[in-house]
Amino acid sequence: MEKGVAESAPSSKKSNANSKNAKKKEVKKETGLGLSNKKDENFGEWYSEVVVSGEMIEYYDISGCYILRPWTMSIWETMQAFFDAEIKKMKIKNCYFPLFVSPGVLQREKDHIEGFAPEVAWVTKSGDTDLDVHIAIRPTSETVMYPYYSKWIRGHRDLPLKLNQWCNVVRWEFSHPTPFIRSREFLWQEGHTAFATKEEADEEVLQILELYRRIYEEFLAIPVVKGKKSELEKFAGGLYTTSVEAFIPNTGRGIQGATSHCLGQNFAKMFEINFENEKGEKGMVWQNSWAYSTRTIGVMVMVHGDDKGLVMPPKVSSIQVIVIPVPFKDADTKGIFDACSETVKTLSEAGFRVEDDLRENYSPGWKYSHWEMKGVPLRIEIGPKDLANKQVRVVRRDNSAKVDIPVSNLVEQVKEILSKIQDSLFEAAKEKRDKCIEKVKTWDEFMTALSDKKMILAPWCDEEEVEKDVKARTKGEAGAAKTLCTPFDQPELPEGTLCFASGKPAKKWTYWGRSY
Amino acid sequence: MGALRLPSLTTFFISSSSSTFTRAASISARSPFLLRLHQHPNPHLHLSRKALAASVASDFSTESLAKKESRESNSNEEKRFITPRSQDFSAWYLDVIARAELADYGPVRGTMVIRPYGYAIWESIQEYLNVIFKETGHSNMYFPQFIPYSFIEKEASHVEGFSPELALVTIGGGKELEEKLVWANVTRWEMRTKPFVRTLEFLWQEGHTAHATPEEAEKEALQMIDVYKKFAYEQAAIPVIAGRKSRAETFAGASRTYTIEAMMGDRKALQAGTSHNLGQNFSRAFGTQFSDENGQRQHVWQTSWAVSTRFVGGIIMTHGDDTGLMLPPKMAPIQVVIVPIWKKADEKAGVLDAVSSVAKILKTAGVKVKVDDSEQRTPGWKFNFWEMKGVPLRIEIGPRDVSNGTVVISRRDVPGKQGKVFGVSMEPSILQAQVKERLEDIQSALLEQATSFRDSNIVDVSSYDELKEAISQGKWARGPWSASEAEELKVKEETGATIRCFPFEQPPGLKTCLMTGNSADEVALFAKSY
Repeated sequence: MEKGVAESAPSSKKSNANSKNAKKKEVKKETGLGLSNKKDENFGEWYSEVVVSGEMIEYYDISGCYILRPWTMSIWETMQAFFDAEIKKMKIKNCYFPLFVSPGVLQREKDHIEGFAPEVAWVTKSGDTDLDVHIAIRPTSETVMYPYYSKWIRGHRDLPLKLNQWCNVVRWEFSHPTPFIRSREFLWQEGHTAFATKEEADEEVLQILELYRRIYEEFLAIPVVKGKKSELEKFAGGLYTTSVEAFIPNTGRGIQGATSHCLGQNFAKMFEINFENEKGEKGMVWQNSWAYSTRTIGVMVMVHGDDKGLVMPPKVSSIQVIVIPVPFKDADTKGIFDACSETVKTLSEAGFRVEDDLRENYSPGWKYSHWEMKGVPLRIEIGPKDLANKQVRVVRRDNSAKVDIPVSNLVEQVKEILSKIQDSLFEAAKEKRDKCIEKVKTWDEFMTALSDKKMILAPWCDEEEVEKDVKARTKGEAGAAKTLCTPFDQPELPEGTLCFASGKPAKKWTYWGRSY
Repeated sequence: MGALRLPSLTTFFISSSSSTFTRAASISARSPFLLRLHQHPNPHLHLSRKALAASVASDFSTESLAKKESRESNSNEEKRFITPRSQDFSAWYLDVIARAELADYGPVRGTMVIRPYGYAIWESIQEYLNVIFKETGHSNMYFPQFIPYSFIEKEASHVEGFSPELALVTIGGGKELEEKLVWANVTRWEMRTKPFVRTLEFLWQEGHTAHATPEEAEKEALQMIDVYKKFAYEQAAIPVIAGRKSRAETFAGASRTYTIEAMMGDRKALQAGTSHNLGQNFSRAFGTQFSDENGQRQHVWQTSWAVSTRFVGGIIMTHGDDTGLMLPPKMAPIQVVIVPIWKKADEKAGVLDAVSSVAKILKTAGVKVKVDDSEQRTPGWKFNFWEMKGVPLRIEIGPRDVSNGTVVISRRDVPGKQGKVFGVSMEPSILQAQVKERLEDIQSALLEQATSFRDSNIVDVSSYDELKEAISQGKWARGPWSASEAEELKVKEETGATIRCFPFEQPPGLKTCLMTGNSADEVALFAKSY
């Protein structure tokens, strides 16, 4: 199973004849290191291939469940560290509620269960004994947690109650599963808070939404639109839902990035979450719930990846800089290797996530491809010439730009380049996304834009029936169009503007499109 | 507890035939580490069949539970107290968990809701271990919760002594599934549950590694039990005894199981962490192979190791007293609580100012501080409340302290005047130094106290009669052992005690088996356990 490449570094060759034969066979297999699908040609296949070749995901024997490999987990952990610290500043505390839901509480809120029933997985057997009462596995934890909110909250002194948990949830979907984007089990955080007043709840909804925007834009370098969901698309049983919406230009589909819901007093009523205020009057609490999941990582892959593989934004990349020795015949191999180790040491002490790849059984070329596939933002090459000139060669993953930088100025320049990569990934993604946004006013314009895979901004009368109608009229192989969100940032809506779909007076500008 | 990990191994090694895995293995065969993976503390399901069946049969509903408790606690809130530990250890344990707001009963019997205060303790365990794991070259990852039924059957047929006790999911999204799926990490047969110590579902970290040689695997298994031991001593102030499990107590499918055993306040033993050298048992069952330097196919050598939320139970039961919880400073979510004391309205502003400046001074020094300035409760009530929650240090500030520029510091672990220091200056450098020193004192005092408690309750025995006598007194018995598994079972049946471990630290000299009188290489530790 030697995976050495024929033209690999000179020193590593072994002269065992048997293994040489074995090697040749392997080499053939391994040199197909690149992707066999192109992002612009067959996006779906490209995506499935890149998440595996980039070592993010391993497919599992149960459809819709995936193994998250260390390359994925470290991204998740980086975002987790940021978000966890931010919500702790907001005095939100972590806790853990069980995975199981009894049928009684699950069905307490009627709209809620109607929204989730088709996706709930049930435990029906224990060993070989049938259970009399089946036990549900949480698709989300509102109904698991709120009986306890009812128990713990008695007076205004118990408010606000602000809890969060990091856990897995299960939604047994039957539509086409996609790693990260649509999986039957995923990791997320779910926050659940209760307040004495609606004002406090409203304020928090937006604070959390802003954190979600920051995760996407500052960490994952993905532009998102903040807005409010339509009545049809809001969280089942809630009062209103806000979201950050991203867009995948290749497929022309919008994707809901994360949601922050105000639940109003609906759940409080069903679960009897009451409190007594200062004056001794009974009141019901106002609640929020909010979540983001491992879906974020899928959006990152889709937006930034290219035909060479993943492209990781420096802020979330498990390895930001990979150092590769490039020894030539008769060169001072040891000197080069030492320079690599020294470079790693310098950068790592300066706080960068950096590794070297000193494996002798792989050629530099193989290593370039490998680390490009994994999307490492910056590659440093050190060869005999670099050694002599006291410099290193730096190659950017996002645009392949190469520069030689003096060793004396290594830390400053690497810092600058990484921050440039982070910025230009965002800029490039934003430019691409903005090109996809199309403002329409009529149904015809809408249909043209839809077939051009656009993210469509249209004036709308805000009626549920009309959205249902649009869904019905656009139904096709690629799926129906629906509202993505009504952006908070509203363009001017001149008096007399009509709804693109119903011809009634328009109330707002809303984003429409096909979506994940 | 060890057996719990078995189904996870099923999950872990399914990918063994894929090219990715083999590549990783073959690459690593040349480097000191093989594929090293460790699953980060993430929710995992641990479910026992009997308890699950019982919970459903018992006509249970969350509604009735939450409502009932809510009514009771409404009327009894002020009256509720903690059962003295000496009177009824189990009742005391449950009272502490409820009153200190560590956990609540879950919606399905045997499950538990971990409340923020309890979860914060788990987080400090995570934080410490996660850093060490990464330093020792392990990466985090996540495996699906579901296991196809066929995998379990495969494992069961290959590994003797393992019979799955699992919950089956057969309905998904309203449709019957074609292949039955099984929950991960589900093996325990529990009739009785106890929050943190025995629950259907719990949180843990589980580490899984694969190595090219048996020596590396053995080294890894020993290294990880040492990490756990160090954590127990230095962070949790629990003087665990590390050692090797007897053949009978070794994890099914493992070549060797190492354990850390802790003595609880009722002198029962708690297995607080385990590390298994799995040999090639699982790699043979799952066909996990790599090519060695000579191009030969070899099965990998594996280890697995875990610590769970059970450890939180261990902390409670080691250090708690009649007053409630007592947390080692290094594990405490709140290390210092500051209670302002004033009587007249004109004293309030001055006292509160001093309180907030003291809080700031301590926060700057990295101390975890909580100010309790609520006006609904008296200072006396607050003292009791925070003592019950186990906060290591309390700072009181009254009008006289304000005018003197001083504070009063009280230790949770030393009751009364002895534990108090009066007139500690508010001057930042003095105050910070005093508080930090006190916290360190408490940390080491708790370990010392637990150590002397442990040592005074271990009896060296040289005959079976002496062993029986020690166990009947509720103590642990330590004596030379080379007898058979049948005789080990006899001890268990007659005394209720099991071999907790053969400690790594062994007394020197020739030994004679306490049971058979034959020569023995090692002493074993016997005790009743959780």
